[in-house]
Amino acid sequence: MAERPTLTEDEFRRLCEYLYRRTGMVFTEAKRYYVERRVWERMAETGSPSFAGYFAHLRSDTRDEIQQFVNAFTVNETYFYREDYQLKCLTNDLLTERLHERHADDPIRIWSAACSTGEEPYSIAIWLLENWPRVDEYFVEIVGSDIDTRVLELARAGTFGKRALMRLPPELIGKYFDALPAEHWQISPQLRDSVSFTSVNLLDPAQTRAHGQFDVIFCRNVLIYFDDTSRRLAAENLYENLLPGGFICLGHSESMSRISPLFDVRRFADAVVYQRPGITRS
Amino acid sequence: MPLVRKPTQPAGHPKASAGEVFAGLTSANAEERWSAARAAAELPDATGALAAALPQETDSRVREAMFTSLTRIGTRESAAAMLPMLRSDDAALRTGALDALCSSVLAAHELLPQLLSDPDVDVRILSCELARSLPSAEANRSLSALLDREAEINVCAAAIEVLAEVGNHTALPALERCAQRFPQVPFLTFAIRLATDRITAAGSRG
Repeated sequence: MAERPTLTEDEFRRLCEYLYRRTGMVFTEAKRYYVERRVWERMAETGSPSFAGYFAHLRSDTRDEIQQFVNAFTVNETYFYREDYQLKCLTNDLLTERLHERHADDPIRIWSAACSTGEEPYSIAIWLLENWPRVDEYFVEIVGSDIDTRVLELARAGTFGKRALMRLPPELIGKYFDALPAEHWQISPQLRDSVSFTSVNLLDPAQTRAHGQFDVIFCRNVLIYFDDTSRRLAAENLYENLLPGGFICLGHSESMSRISPLFDVRRFADAVVYQRPGITRS
Repeated sequence: MPLVRKPTQPAGHPKASAGEVFAGLTSANAEERWSAARAAAELPDATGALAAALPQETDSRVREAMFTSLTRIGTRESAAAMLPMLRSDDAALRTGALDALCSSVLAAHELLPQLLSDPDVDVRILSCELARSLPSAEANRSLSALLDREAEINVCAAAIEVLAEVGNHTALPALERCAQRFPQVPFLTFAIRLATDRITAAGSRG
């Protein structure tokens, strides 16, 4: 078992610079403990006796170590109302802008582009119902997609454990879920029926085009899994999937600016998001 | 319930023929050029057409798609087709080519030795960035060799900057020799000391 070193300032900086360049993930000193814990875990897993040894192993990407390291930050992190500041941004700013650009009868289309077991698209649905007063005035279509058909089956079933619901107030759980045995809850049938789930490979332009264009896309903590060329391709696919002036929300540690120059950066009160150009803003 | 579920309708984009793709690359319509640039990635023999169209392209979005398609084609020829653009006076074209080449492991492996020996100083400076994507031993070897022969201090500075991050003990002798060759250049001396300190500190903990 490797000892648990405290990273020096220089080691921490080098690691963070490396992670940023390779993945776009940004870590500051405030996240040091979080980063060090993952380093310890991966050192133990890889049998690296020191940080220097592990960092060399990481840089050489032996046995897909970069992916493994990134996984240590992201896997099992999906839950309802995750990064809800983006949901606030959705209802406070993004939809307001989108409404200016549309015909009253046009549906508002929102895509959770890598929805895993469904927490994100169901969160969007609940958030809109709870926080957007104009939700009754428009048809809102929410699509959840993933490349993994097994997780899509779970998403359609809509059954979740306690951990996935940890950020939801009890009154919302009571309102939108049916209690099941053994501390599990199932999304109400009405809400389940309001979200469609589809299989998609974000790197396949034919598949992504088949989903049409959206007003807002949530694509959080996905692009970090791709290599540089794949990230560029995914960004171009997602660009085509946005209506002109549409928005894309990435994970808090991701930056589209590091991937592609196709999008404009928009800074709102609650979140930084990316926008497909095409609409002249006043 | 105001939320609605609709079956996703396939958009039904017919696949363009090779002829249509090649013609589309020089269309007067930017949307057609964008579509052609993206479709070209599926045509390995589109390298020449993409390389010819890129310097003429005025829409940055289409240009980006052309670079992405060249990286997706992923052959030595498609990587080599971007090399002349590193010499362009157009900064956007230059950096676009470098970003695209940095995405290509093939380019870094096969073209880096040639690029680090390019007669154009700017090409050598930009090419140091490519070394970052190499395995550590190869990056150290390539940049150390560059430092030993390079007469242009700005190229040395670019190589030192990369070594400060990816360097290991094998690069220390070349850094020392570089410092001895340019004792009259304070910023290079400073950069070498910084890189050496970082590499040494990392090594002492390893």
